[in-house]
Amino acid sequence: MNQARSNKVNTIQAVNMALDEAMALDPNVILLGEDIADEQEGGIVGVTKGLSAKHGKARVRSTPISEQAIVGAAIGAAMVGMRPVAEIMLMNFTTVAMDMIVNHAAKLRFMSGGQTQVPITIRTMTGAGFGTGGQHADYLEAWFAHTAGIKVVAPSSPAEAYGLMLSCIFDDDPCLFIENMPSYWNPGEAPVPGQRIPLGKARIVREGADVTLIAYSRILQDCAQVAERLAKEGIAVELVDLRTIAPLDEATLLQSVGKTRRAVVVHEAVRPFGVGAEIAAMLHERLFGRLKAPVQRVGAPHCPVPFSKPLEQAFLPQPSVIEAAIRQALA
Amino acid sequence: MTHRTEVDRRVLVDIYRRMALIQRSDERFRAVIKAGKIVAPYYSPRGQECIPAAVSVNLSDEDYVCTIYRGIHDMLAKGVPSKLLWAEIAGKATGTCKGKGGPMHITHPASGVMVTTGIVGSSMPIANGLALAAQIRGEKRVAVAYFGDGASNIGAFHESLNMAAVWKLPVVFVCQNNGYGEHTRYDIATSARRVSDRAAAYQMPGVTVDGNDPLAVYEAARAAIIRARDGDGPTLIEAMTFRFQGHVFGDADAYMAPGEKEAAMARDPVPRLRAWLVEGGVADSELAALEAAIEREIDEAVAFALDSPLPDVAELRRDVFAEELVA
Amino acid sequence: MATQVLLPKIGFSMNEAVLAEWMVADGASVTEGQALYAIESDKSTQEIESPASGTVKIIAQVGEVYPVGAVLAEIA
Repeated sequence: MNQARSNKVNTIQAVNMALDEAMALDPNVILLGEDIADEQEGGIVGVTKGLSAKHGKARVRSTPISEQAIVGAAIGAAMVGMRPVAEIMLMNFTTVAMDMIVNHAAKLRFMSGGQTQVPITIRTMTGAGFGTGGQHADYLEAWFAHTAGIKVVAPSSPAEAYGLMLSCIFDDDPCLFIENMPSYWNPGEAPVPGQRIPLGKARIVREGADVTLIAYSRILQDCAQVAERLAKEGIAVELVDLRTIAPLDEATLLQSVGKTRRAVVVHEAVRPFGVGAEIAAMLHERLFGRLKAPVQRVGAPHCPVPFSKPLEQAFLPQPSVIEAAIRQALA
Repeated sequence: MTHRTEVDRRVLVDIYRRMALIQRSDERFRAVIKAGKIVAPYYSPRGQECIPAAVSVNLSDEDYVCTIYRGIHDMLAKGVPSKLLWAEIAGKATGTCKGKGGPMHITHPASGVMVTTGIVGSSMPIANGLALAAQIRGEKRVAVAYFGDGASNIGAFHESLNMAAVWKLPVVFVCQNNGYGEHTRYDIATSARRVSDRAAAYQMPGVTVDGNDPLAVYEAARAAIIRARDGDGPTLIEAMTFRFQGHVFGDADAYMAPGEKEAAMARDPVPRLRAWLVEGGVADSELAALEAAIEREIDEAVAFALDSPLPDVAELRRDVFAEELVA
Repeated sequence: MATQVLLPKIGFSMNEAVLAEWMVADGASVTEGQALYAIESDKSTQEIESPASGTVKIIAQVGEVYPVGAVLAEIA
């Protein structure tokens, strides 16, 4: 893929660049996953295209359909110094590997008293919008954020994906990297080559004094558009991209909401028991006396992702709902 | 003993030493637990000593072992120091895992014991990963995954054997078939006549041996380990055995057939090997000296464990991530 | 210094047990390893050996329920 003449890349290209660079930098970086090698077309949307040709099939392996075995292999190799990037094709399939992810990857450093570590990155994709239904579009980040010992990262743009992926690969803890499928092909600013984005730090995308809007992954782009629109009305939204869901950058959130005194958390994942619930609770606990309104949460309704188009659209939090929540916070 | 192969006497004595260490450690664990001095769920390996002892003499510290909660024999046979093992089971800061793992998660990379898991079957996917790293790096290391007959029915077994065979990973799958998956007999849980029958489904050699016969286990392990080191891929070894103390120490074992346990105990492999060694010309005094050294080792380990401090509460923030969590 | 006889945890889910029987009388001389008492948990009945030699002072009563770690007797 030739990026020389373009300053735009999409997330597929951005992640590919990060993987390529990491593999060139460190021979310990290996890739495991279903269909990821070039003979199998470099992944179902081509994220790993060209990598087995360039770095060899020993380091870029198409696996059997065996999620437990894929993650287990990554864990074992990581324990002796490799930096495996395991692809779990769709986030729903992480459930098939839950024992390896939750009982092992997340816990081995602690249970071994620090003697072993598991520097794996699990790449996975998901997202409603393609009519793939309940088992191929699920948002499970809250489960993993709730699990001590695993980092959860959700990039909001191609450049973010590049920088965060590099940081995940070279982080010494297990990282779950969540790619949004429907927005894979959306172009964005190309990243600065080699520039890693630190984990555990949120980014102030837009400054504002009236209300803090907190989001991550694809929907951050919708939030940016809503903020832009409201600016014309004189509503100054401060937009925060979490970047890393766990560990949560509480300091940045507290500083922002401490200033604006109003907050709205937005995610595509279902609203009940979601990441927004944790953030709202944390903000209420720490800023109770200072808040001018309860923290609003925007999320999908509590049901599996439906198939039929109008249902799927109704499932996804729309910009109008985000705007309504902001107005509610300002009421 | 069915075999009379010419195995070096030193190897046989080494196998016996490991078995005696396991047997005597197990007896002491049960005594200390019964005395209320250590409080921990205890999964006794008594009766299964021969398997890891005869496998481990073929391994070095650079080879990897992944085992499961009934794994104290596997750990001791591989060389986990008794003191650190006891301290961990006692929940002390001086244990292998600073008291944070406990008996089901003993880890000691220096001796190659990379992971002990409390989840049936989960030793295997991780053993594959250790073997994968060795393969990619061109190392001659082997990964041994220990598990029980019950684990041969769990998904991880099938996924792991398939992947290991397809990638020709240098891993040896050692099934310690003691006839029971928790309280359930083998024949009502498993569709294979023998666990080793399943190897054919995964295009790898499979062999069933008498797990109480040190020569049989030694030979099967040696062949599998050489095969793995030569880059020819994995092997499934099924070693038939019996656990004298039931599933978890304290169980009533009412699900077993009457007399079954007693019959197995009558075939105790530890005194049997000892007698055979003496019969074969090893001096009784040599073995007695070995046993005395073992008792001293255990005495020191128990004292060390009981005298060591408990871990600090601050340990809750450590080793969750590489960086300590902020208080 | 007296050795405390503590109720052990034997079994995965055991939290307490009934002191089923004392094998020796209060004040009797015991040797380490001798059968001292029996406990009944919901899983099984176990005979427990004496952890030390000396004179036993019985504290726990037959038929009563005690938690793991309770001092059942002292041996001096």
